Amino acid sequence: MAKIGVFVCHCGENIASMVDTGTLVKAMSDHPGVAICNEYKYFCSDPGQETVKRAIREHNLTGVVVAACSPRMHETTFRKACAEAGLNPYMLELANIREQCSWVHSEKNQATSKAIEITRSLVEKVKRNNELKPISVPVTRRALVIGGGIAGIQAALDIAGAGREVVLVEREPSIGGHMSQLSETFPTLDCSQCILTPRMVEAIQHPKITVMTYSEVEEVEGYIGNFTAKIRKKARYVDMSKCTGCGDCIQKCPVKKIPSEFECGLGKRTAIYTPFAQAVPNVPVIDKSRCTYFKNGKCKICEKSCQIDAIDFEQQESVETFEFGAIVVATGFQIQDTSVYGEYGYGKYKDVITGLHFERLASASGPTAGKIQRPSDGKEPETVVFIQCAGSRDPSKGVKYCSKICCMYTAKHAMLYTHKHHGSNSKIFYMDIRAAGKGYDEFTRRAIEEDGADYLRGRVSKVFEENGKLIVRGVDTLLGKPVEVAADMVVLATAMTPQPDAKQFAKRIGIGYDEYGFYNEAHLKLRPVETAKAGIYLCGACQSPKDIPDSVAQASAAAAKVLGLFSREQLEREPVVAAVGETTCAGCWGCVYACPYNAIEKKDITDRNGNLIKQVASVNPGLCQGCGTCVTFCRSNSIDLAGFTEKQIFAEVMAL
Amino acid sequence: MGIQEQYRSEAAALLSSGEVKLVIGFGEGSTADRRRPLFARTPEEAQKFVLDAACIANLSTYLVTEGLLSDGKKVAVFLKPDGIRSVNILISEAQLKPDQVVILGYAIDKAEITALEGRNISDFSLGEEIRSHTPPPHILQEAERIEEMNPAERFEFWKAHFSKCIKCYACRQVCPMCYCRRCIVDVNQPQWVSTSSHTLGNFEWNIVRAFHLAGRCAACGACDRACPVNIPLRLVNYRMGKEVIDAFDYCAGENSSQKPVLASFKQDDPETFIL
Ligand SMILES: Cc1cc2nc3c(=O)[nH]c(=O)nc-3n(C[C@H](O)[C@H](O)[C@H](O)COP(=O)(O)OP(=O)(O)OC[C@H]3O[C@@H](n4cnc5c(N)ncnc54)[C@H](O)[C@@H]3O)c2cc1C
Ligand code: SF4
Ligand code: SF4
Ligand code: SF4
Ligand code: SF4
Repeated sequence: MAKIGVFVCHCGENIASMVDTGTLVKAMSDHPGVAICNEYKYFCSDPGQETVKRAIREHNLTGVVVAACSPRMHETTFRKACAEAGLNPYMLELANIREQCSWVHSEKNQATSKAIEITRSLVEKVKRNNELKPISVPVTRRALVIGGGIAGIQAALDIAGAGREVVLVEREPSIGGHMSQLSETFPTLDCSQCILTPRMVEAIQHPKITVMTYSEVEEVEGYIGNFTAKIRKKARYVDMSKCTGCGDCIQKCPVKKIPSEFECGLGKRTAIYTPFAQAVPNVPVIDKSRCTYFKNGKCKICEKSCQIDAIDFEQQESVETFEFGAIVVATGFQIQDTSVYGEYGYGKYKDVITGLHFERLASASGPTAGKIQRPSDGKEPETVVFIQCAGSRDPSKGVKYCSKICCMYTAKHAMLYTHKHHGSNSKIFYMDIRAAGKGYDEFTRRAIEEDGADYLRGRVSKVFEENGKLIVRGVDTLLGKPVEVAADMVVLATAMTPQPDAKQFAKRIGIGYDEYGFYNEAHLKLRPVETAKAGIYLCGACQSPKDIPDSVAQASAAAAKVLGLFSREQLEREPVVAAVGETTCAGCWGCVYACPYNAIEKKDITDRNGNLIKQVASVNPGLCQGCGTCVTFCRSNSIDLAGFTEKQIFAEVMAL
Repeated sequence: MGIQEQYRSEAAALLSSGEVKLVIGFGEGSTADRRRPLFARTPEEAQKFVLDAACIANLSTYLVTEGLLSDGKKVAVFLKPDGIRSVNILISEAQLKPDQVVILGYAIDKAEITALEGRNISDFSLGEEIRSHTPPPHILQEAERIEEMNPAERFEFWKAHFSKCIKCYACRQVCPMCYCRRCIVDVNQPQWVSTSSHTLGNFEWNIVRAFHLAGRCAACGACDRACPVNIPLRLVNYRMGKEVIDAFDYCAGENSSQKPVLASFKQDDPETFIL
């Protein structure tokens, strides 16, 4: 015989002001199978929980329904209370009469009858609940970090620093990401390479970190604590174990005029190359699409020039499989393709460049050795116009958001330009100056007050060429007048956008993304580094536009989450898993395809002599996440989900 | 030699050589224009096969009889293109092994019968034919008429039809795609679909069946012909099939390596319905 205890919570005034709890208690007390029904101001409080525990002991309850808030809030609280009183924690149900009732209604009688129906249906469910035991699964204490920008490097170092193994996967030939392209960094103007390279070197030398460059994550399967990832290592055509990084091959390569991606096309590279001098690892790759040997079958000059035979034209790409317990996604950003701004003449006029180009011009290791020179003729520009929000906050160009960093780096650019070229003239078109951050407002002020940056509030409508000058036409909205500036160079502060393949990649590993392709956190405020998929974490600019301090902070936060997970050898999992009824399963494999976690396998049913009778579906409880997809798919109704069985759901529905 | 004689002797040869253990075809029916399934296990029985324009049933439904193919032996069967299409679907749903089925294919055009080339399912490429296949004009007209109704009229239309249903499950028995060992309507713990034939229960049954056949129906019309109270079932399945083609560009039974459309995912599946 069922003996159910029903506990109606007032939640202060939250529930009691809209639901007549007295009526609810009366209705439940009369319901068949209910042994005791109480109401109280806060059942989640200590005395409230004590009441529940006492009732379980005194009335030998077989099930408990707490009519209160969402199970997301207090399911754990009351499960614990049940367990402490000797009742299986899965014999508890929460009837949500707050979020789903009192908060959303304004008519008390109706809200009360709805609360009665909700509670009644959960009483009917709990009568059919079964005792369940949590499943424990082992945790593989090795982390996969995807993306070797500053965010990925930081996360990897923090995890490895706590003694856990990390595999850091970067698809470019070197780690470093965008930060390696920057000249000096706001708000302190320290040289980007100088603060980044020690981290890169630390990562590659760390005994717990395996850095896999020129590699991509091809497939991720599994679940928190137990992921399997396939990583494709592209062929470098240089043996990493032999190469000393002497660079002889690069010197000798006859194909020298390839626009360098790292230099944003402002410099050139060879077909065998390292993207930049401080690359980590300092091992070149052969760009197969440009190499003369791969194109015509003749050359191999690099092979001859290498003293230690490190060049290997026969090298093949390879796929390695690893087990991981947690994944950190740090795939970063791209800058927006500026060709959407035809009116600014990008791509048409050589001297209209992006902020990233400017970083390369200002960088001591860049193509001009740090001299600001115009790409068209190499002259030093006298007047430079910077256009902020060139892409950001412009719904018509598809980017509604603020890229967050452009105000700051534009101020930095104006400053660097003045420092490098005294008597220069920088004009900045802006919408607002957003300089929230430690030392940020002071930084932009310094640009204005000490370095003479001339800020003009307004938008630019057009950039065109006239008598060898770039004419920038816009409005100064503070003066309410049109302005025209004759410039020698125009720098566009282009929007930070997700990686072009961000959406496909998210689908591959099973995480969510927003309308642009930035990855979704589990909760913007309370769970900013977790994704909705347990065991996968985020950091850096792949989640939203970020500067270096934010990227690094988030990377350390993600590492802390990973280390928290790795602090245990076993993980307790909810026993809400599916099971197949083998007598009725028709072996159509619909559920096998449908299961998003690949948790369903095919199983042979044999007779006593081992002859195959039929094949049926079989759920691996270690992999099943209890999503219920298979249950809804199965036509013959052969699958059931523990904790949410068809009988339970049916009883719940029929009680309404 | 006419096609009937050709297939009689071919069936006999298949049986006497032991290549197949059974040939499923047509025999004389109760009236001159009706044909009845005939199961031949000996070359002599094969001489009773009839093949003419009255042989319209989709015999593939017998292939999924429980236990028939579990000994690994082969079975031959007379099939029209719609039957071949169902074999494709059954293979893709792992209910048949391609090598266990020998197909004696034929097509009916008006009163004309022609033999189809090929004996193994892989010999038939039906893709284009199936895509361009449209139901007979009177069915299409009826489908369009229903399409033009407003939701209330449409509901009344189906209510009138479904209220006639006597839950005999003939539609299910005749359907090759209804191969479940236990149908959802036979589940009584809990009783999702009520068994008595009142309008609500009838709606539940007919709509469940429509969903279960979405993206799986071979358009053979067997259910429609089987229904003793003349519910135009193929209109339901036709509409569901159209829906699946529009949403997923998927046409059931084009080949035997399709993945079940409602159970599988593609990275570029439209997500317009997900908020
Ligand atoms: C012009 C400009 C100036 C800036 N100046 C400053 C400044 O002065 N101060 C400051 O604080 N910030 C500055 N920033 C911002 C700074 O660049 C970013 O905050 C920082 O680079 C973000 O780091 P990240 O690791 O998240 O991303 P990234 O640097 O983009 O690194 C991501 C890495 O992941 C790799 N990757 C991507 N997809 C995959 C994949 N599928 N598999 C494997 N690897 C992958 C990429 O190749 C890359 O190496 C500036 C940005 C720009 C554009
Ligand atoms: S969907 Fe149902 S019938 Fe099909 S394989 Fe899975 S459990 Fe069996
Ligand atoms: S409930 Fe079913 S579909 Fe969902 S994870 Fe478990 S086995 Fe897979
Ligand atoms: S054949 Fe007709 S009457 Fe029989 S169950 Fe199907 S729809 Fe109902
Ligand atoms: S109606 Fe559905 S459950 Fe019943 S036999 Fe057909 S496919 Fe199976």
